[in-house]
Amino acid sequence: MSNKKKVFLVIGIIFTVEFIISLFGEYDMSQIAAPFAKIHTVFGVKIPFNGINISTVLNTWLIMAVVIAGSYFFTRRLTPIPGRLQAIAETYVSAFDTLCTEVLGKKRGRKFLPFVATLFIFVLLSNWVGVIPSFWHVVDGVFPHWLAIEEPTRDLNTTLGFGIMCFFVAHISGIYVRGFKGYVAEYFVTMPYDKGFNGGNIGKFIFNMFMGLLNIVGEIGKTISHSFRLFGNILGGAIIMVVICNLIRFIVLPVFLNGFFGLFVGAVQAFVFTMLALVYVSVMVNE
Amino acid sequence: MIDAYAMKIASLVGAACCMGVGAIGPAYGVGYASSRGCNAIARQPEAEGQVIKTMLIGQAVTESPSIFALLVAFILLFNAPAVIGLAPLCALIGAGICMGAGAFGPGVGAGFANAEACEGVGRNPDSETVLLRTMLIGQAVSQSTSIYALVIALMLIYVV
Repeated sequence: MSNKKKVFLVIGIIFTVEFIISLFGEYDMSQIAAPFAKIHTVFGVKIPFNGINISTVLNTWLIMAVVIAGSYFFTRRLTPIPGRLQAIAETYVSAFDTLCTEVLGKKRGRKFLPFVATLFIFVLLSNWVGVIPSFWHVVDGVFPHWLAIEEPTRDLNTTLGFGIMCFFVAHISGIYVRGFKGYVAEYFVTMPYDKGFNGGNIGKFIFNMFMGLLNIVGEIGKTISHSFRLFGNILGGAIIMVVICNLIRFIVLPVFLNGFFGLFVGAVQAFVFTMLALVYVSVMVNE
Repeated sequence: MIDAYAMKIASLVGAACCMGVGAIGPAYGVGYASSRGCNAIARQPEAEGQVIKTMLIGQAVTESPSIFALLVAFILLFNAPAVIGLAPLCALIGAGICMGAGAFGPGVGAGFANAEACEGVGRNPDSETVLLRTMLIGQAVSQSTSIYALVIALMLIYVV
């Protein structure tokens, strides 16, 4: 049997099983907007900030394990003539090397390469992991909810965490490159001051303070839109898939829905997220 | 006077406004992009593959305001509101109008960016990677406003 036939066979078996299971149960539609499964206490100690989303944490660990194991096995035996795995790793790294050096320049591009490449692979796998079928949404209440394999990026905590991380990376490298004075001047000196104390400078000071406040609001908005873009797209795709799959009882269509919302939109959004992180860094770093 | 039934009506009206109005802008943007894509292929038939690739990737991003609208509409349809009162009732309708109207402009704007990128690839196929990257960044930033609408709509549903 050829490889192509095997892939189709596996997909067919998975969705036949989901179809058969779905005949016996129905997903409660009011649960799609329900909050995540949470744990509030560990060994009797209360967790601050209203508990932990256990499913998100478990899926994040799953992806972390995949990335760590992958980077170990792909680069285990490095040879001048690359094998298959090494060729994949080399293509990936060199693609991002080109990207970073084009945007940030030769020297700084190499410094930010690990950050950008790791961010991309992590977000990509987070978006793709929802394609793996897990049966919790088919038979409600039989499988524990926190065992579900679902995208960590459909939880706002993950994407907002990434967004805030990119914010700090960009701004700290901005302070590092320009010095604290130059960094502050970027926001609060829109109009350069004249020499000496006169009426024009007072007017400029008021204008600059006003523009500085606008700049700060703009920075906060950047982080919010950066993280909510990923969150909204992935959660939207996931909810559309759950609703349609339940309406049509998992016949044929889920494959194509997973292909579009899971693989295609997931890859595009991961790339957009990474590129925006890179651009935010380059805005702060480049003169 | 305001009971669970009234809240349900408000949710339904909100969902209808949200998805109905929210479909206009992205649809216009996607259609405009594909028309410019056809134009580009007519000018340079050898670049067909590259133009179609640029067009499809751009359209996936252009559609995301309508995906946000669909998300809010589904949440409005299936979510049972916790608090019953006049303010939550208005918040449900308001969430629908907010996301629906908020999806209009960004959808059209991202579609324009996609259209010009297709045109550019048709004119100069060698610059495809740079154009694709610039287009994605520009579209992502131009969609920020629809994301603010999404944030406010979710806050109206869950916080009020």
